[in-house]
Amino acid sequence: MNPELLKIINSFGLWVVALIMVSIVFIQAGLFMRQALKAATAIHMPREKCMKGLRAGMITAVGPSIAIVIIMIGMMAVVGAPMTWMRLSIIGAAPTELTAATLGAKAVGVDFGSPQYDLYAFAASNWGMALNDFGWLFITALFATRLESVRKKVGGGNPAWLALLTGAAAIGAFAYLMSGNLLAGGPKAIGVIAGGISMILFLQLAKRYPALKEYTLGLAMVVGMFIAAFFAK
Amino acid sequence: MAEQNEVFQNSFIRPVIRIGIITLLIAWVGNFLPCLYIYFRYGIFPPWETILKIWVMVASVYGAFYIVEPISYYAILGLSGTYMSFLAGNISNLRLPCSAMAQEATGVEPGSQEAEVISTLGIAGSVIVNTIGVTLTAILGVTLLTVFPPFVKKAFAYILPAVFGAVFAQFAIKYPVVGLMAIPIPLILLGWVKILPVWVVIPACVFGTVALARLYYQLRLKGER
Repeated sequence: MNPELLKIINSFGLWVVALIMVSIVFIQAGLFMRQALKAATAIHMPREKCMKGLRAGMITAVGPSIAIVIIMIGMMAVVGAPMTWMRLSIIGAAPTELTAATLGAKAVGVDFGSPQYDLYAFAASNWGMALNDFGWLFITALFATRLESVRKKVGGGNPAWLALLTGAAAIGAFAYLMSGNLLAGGPKAIGVIAGGISMILFLQLAKRYPALKEYTLGLAMVVGMFIAAFFAK
Repeated sequence: MAEQNEVFQNSFIRPVIRIGIITLLIAWVGNFLPCLYIYFRYGIFPPWETILKIWVMVASVYGAFYIVEPISYYAILGLSGTYMSFLAGNISNLRLPCSAMAQEATGVEPGSQEAEVISTLGIAGSVIVNTIGVTLTAILGVTLLTVFPPFVKKAFAYILPAVFGAVFAQFAIKYPVVGLMAIPIPLILLGWVKILPVWVVIPACVFGTVALARLYYQLRLKGER
């Protein structure tokens, strides 16, 4: 990449632009958190329970966040630190964003990351990522409330069935997510099985030591990951 | 019960819709700011035909997911979770597991009002942690990664399969029959049928499992009678 472009993709202006978008994500999470705490008071939920839920989410997020950070470095080399920061703070994981950036450059006849990759191609890459991310932002803003009414209708105000419905949706989604890794075999399949078994063991252990409960998933994923990595050689 | 619903509607659902829609509309603009900045600062704005071409290219790869993902994950994420997850991304590796763990740790009944509140807190907590992580890395760059020994860095390549296996196990021990019914669906579709695109396989797995769970629920009700 020519030094001129390298300077531009890491320029102050782009940092400011990225900061705006990252702030929106952060502020939204803060607003929802505040609203959840208010609602908790209104429906007489104890504050400790809320804090436990918040903590459990934060603890569980640590492992996957480290994995994101490790992938991030590669993307920073090609689209610069500010745009990587912005795009990985919003919808579209690293491979999705890189594909969109590649397609954008391709539309103007340039290979992504090649010596011909210039400011014009960088602009096209940005259009690729922006147009792609907009798809999810658009659909969600317009149709989320409609999905809520569908859920209410299907749930039918029956708590037992609604609980099973939610559980079944999660089981179906994660059966899909893990099956690709199971079919891949090798360390990936070992990772799935080791993650699953250690989760069951940690949950059993948490019955005896309840303080452990909010750590179970965070621990199970790290144990599963190291077992898989052990067999990867 | 009706009064309780009214309270929840006013203290949670309505404000959540307002916050969700307003923040997403602002994000629509923020999302295109880099393109606008490059135009105003460097005078580069591709011709509309080129922009349309780029849009067709990305939408032909990902377009189906814009629709399929919010629908497929809605029952798990709920309303506020959907607004947060489709702004902040990382749904399968972060939002779903963190929501599930928050609910597990607090022992709330899935699908209930309490679950909705706790799931919101779990997902918001995960957004905060991962935004901080990404921000630190953007600022500190490669130096941050030197704290991890190489074998640890390599091991993180396998965290996803472990997350997926662990979350599946977490739900499957609660509903073992549903878990057993769910596994063959993706294995058959991905390992044997093979020709279906991913955007068909995801909803087929989610709604196929929900349909089987419904059948199982009704059979069990009949058995009890």
